[in-house]
Amino acid sequence: MAMKRKVGQVTPEEKNEIQTLFERRNGLNELAKILTADNAELYEKLVKDMGETGSKFQDWWNQMAEKYQWESAENGNWEINFDTCEIYLVTA
Amino acid sequence: MEARNITFIVTKDCQLACKYCYLVGKNEKERMSFDIARRAIDYILDHETAFEEESVVWDFIGGEPFLEIDLINQICDYLKSEMYRRNHHWFNSYRFSFSTNGINYDSEKVQRFIEKNHEHLSIGITIDGTEMKHDLNRVYKGSEKGSYQSVVRNIPLWLKQFSNAATKVTISSADIPYIKESVLHLYSLGIHEVNINCVFEDVWNEGDDRLFEEQLMQLADAIIDGVYYEDYACSFFSENIGKPLDKILENQNWCGAGRMLSVDAAGNFYPCTRFAAYSLRSKKPIIIGNVYDGIDKNKLRPFLSLDRTTQSRQECIDCEVASGCAWCQGENYDAADTNTIYQRATAICKMHKARVRANNYYWNKLYRKLELEGMREEFEANKPKSNDVIC
Amino acid sequence: MIQYLIILLDETSASFCHYDNPKKERCLIPLEVLRQGIRFGMMENLMIQYVYPDYELPEEYKDVIESIDHSKIKPLADDADVLVLDAPQEINADKPVVLRIKKQDLFALTDAVAKMLKSVPRLNVVLTDVETFTDEDFETYKKVLAGFSTEVKKLYVEGKSPQLNLLTDRMMLSQMNNCGAGDTTITLASNGKFYVCPAFYYEDEADSIGDLEHGLDIKNKQLYKLGYAPICRHCDAWQCKRCIWLNRKTTLEVNTPSHEQCVLAHLERNASRELLQNIRKHGSFLPEQEEIKEIDYLDPFDKRDTWQ
Repeated sequence: MAMKRKVGQVTPEEKNEIQTLFERRNGLNELAKILTADNAELYEKLVKDMGETGSKFQDWWNQMAEKYQWESAENGNWEINFDTCEIYLVTA
Repeated sequence: MEARNITFIVTKDCQLACKYCYLVGKNEKERMSFDIARRAIDYILDHETAFEEESVVWDFIGGEPFLEIDLINQICDYLKSEMYRRNHHWFNSYRFSFSTNGINYDSEKVQRFIEKNHEHLSIGITIDGTEMKHDLNRVYKGSEKGSYQSVVRNIPLWLKQFSNAATKVTISSADIPYIKESVLHLYSLGIHEVNINCVFEDVWNEGDDRLFEEQLMQLADAIIDGVYYEDYACSFFSENIGKPLDKILENQNWCGAGRMLSVDAAGNFYPCTRFAAYSLRSKKPIIIGNVYDGIDKNKLRPFLSLDRTTQSRQECIDCEVASGCAWCQGENYDAADTNTIYQRATAICKMHKARVRANNYYWNKLYRKLELEGMREEFEANKPKSNDVIC
Repeated sequence: MIQYLIILLDETSASFCHYDNPKKERCLIPLEVLRQGIRFGMMENLMIQYVYPDYELPEEYKDVIESIDHSKIKPLADDADVLVLDAPQEINADKPVVLRIKKQDLFALTDAVAKMLKSVPRLNVVLTDVETFTDEDFETYKKVLAGFSTEVKKLYVEGKSPQLNLLTDRMMLSQMNNCGAGDTTITLASNGKFYVCPAFYYEDEADSIGDLEHGLDIKNKQLYKLGYAPICRHCDAWQCKRCIWLNRKTTLEVNTPSHEQCVLAHLERNASRELLQNIRKHGSFLPEQEEIKEIDYLDPFDKRDTWQ
């Protein structure tokens, strides 16, 4: 069973950044389910965007981890609660 | 986060004929075409500056919206690609929302749609409580057969797919004796959030307030004694209700009509679904535009300038337990002596006061218990949320 | 409190305001209804205003009309207290004149209208197509007002005291002074029923607010009062007509003005502000009146976040 423990907190502005990226990533993923290569222009835009958004998403976690020095674990990952701005370490 | 609610009235048909349903003009004929939906979407997305809210909730309502799942699927696909193609700010923050009777929730088409759009879905299944309470009102069209069994079989699947799902319960006069057992029944089904409200229409009989108060007191005891308060929420109990309201600082309108937008099968725009003809008993619809000509902003001005005191009687302005006393602008309009949204209907007054008394009892009892157990601080930090969703 | 009773003497009584009278067939108010209306006015202490058609009334009506103190609103000059015109005219009148005019005519005939300022004690310009104004029209209207302002200032400097509702009313007022339909004024039509104003009668005869037999019954009467008009009660374009009928026509609520009505009233307000400042450059003028403040909006609805 997964264990979840609070290891830190970000500012509301920082939370907004990752929430927007999170939402955008979800939007792109669900758009990818209906978009085919037939729609070349939009498809290319989507593919590029998915790459960029994924990178920004990872950059955010890297920067925040660097800034706040959160505790980490071998088989764990961090999660954020968008309501409280709290960061949790989730381990398997 | 501020969100704009945009509602597609995709059909005016429903499998059920609920006895409390405010939709007086339901029918099988008025189904939205994709062309109308597309025109509405194009108009809205073309006018990004007029829809400045950070987020959008694309709401699908009926009748029963899932009767039109093919159309909804087409609309949602169009919405996603258009928001994206236009670089519209809502692509980063949107939801598709449904209030369904749950009957065809497990159908292949609905399930395929859910799988495709899961991260952006908010689906509420309406179940009114125990089988007896549910079937008292929620009966199949053309028969008195209750729909409970058809709905409850889908609850486990729904909760599996949406673990934080909430249900909406509507209380009318005949439902009062079943409130306690119904809420507890919903908890027992695994629904952690029960948003519940009394209808705004003038349906209340002599003595209903006392019965209502008794039911809520019993519910309060059951929630506290059964320690449900830790993980379950019921919107009847809220710490913010039952206080006087400042005439100037707390003068906001309760209802969001005018800040929402509804479109029907004919392509007409309404400030809220409640102003469409099929929702109104005695008044003409308030149409604020259409998908061809756009929105007439002048028709929105009364909605957007409306405040609490201007539409309230002095008794309401001076009321010592005013906070949390809700109103529906559509019902206000429908019940008003003239064609105005500026006359507040007060049929709910005695029910609100009864709710406040029971609510006071609930919090006094709960906090005393938590204090004696040394648990109050922990509870306050982690208490479950409920929404005062009233429409 | 109701203070004025407008009595429409004929189905074809002249319009003196924003509405048009669509009725073309002459039909006098029954004498008995007229008598009862006057009786009602006397009992309620109301000031009576008769609205005349464009033809001479029978003698028997004149006798009844004269049985109470009143004022006459007429499209014919003779003994009118207020003369109503549908186009600018070269006239010399010793009574106030209401000029009903469409925007394009006003824009085209600005000089003719301005000329009337010299020959009438008071000119009330009433636009009959307020709801059709576009942003471009607003700009033109602003220029038209500036032209009137120059003319009015010139006359003041010459020692005259012309009155033009669009410009001089706001200078003189210290609070809202609007149409008052349903609040201070009601209308009696030939069917013996009361209406909020003549326009309500012409639009829908079923839309009455009582009758001579049963008295007044104004539902939601508070909504005709300034305090129940969220936009207007925060506004200082005090000369605004705040036309109840146009409100309902354009926004569906009697207490809510349209964007067009608000912008027009604010263009007038701002033109009054400049006029007041310009006249005062030539000496003391209305010393008891405060300066009209500079504001950064033309529609108070746009500033609702400051009062909501």
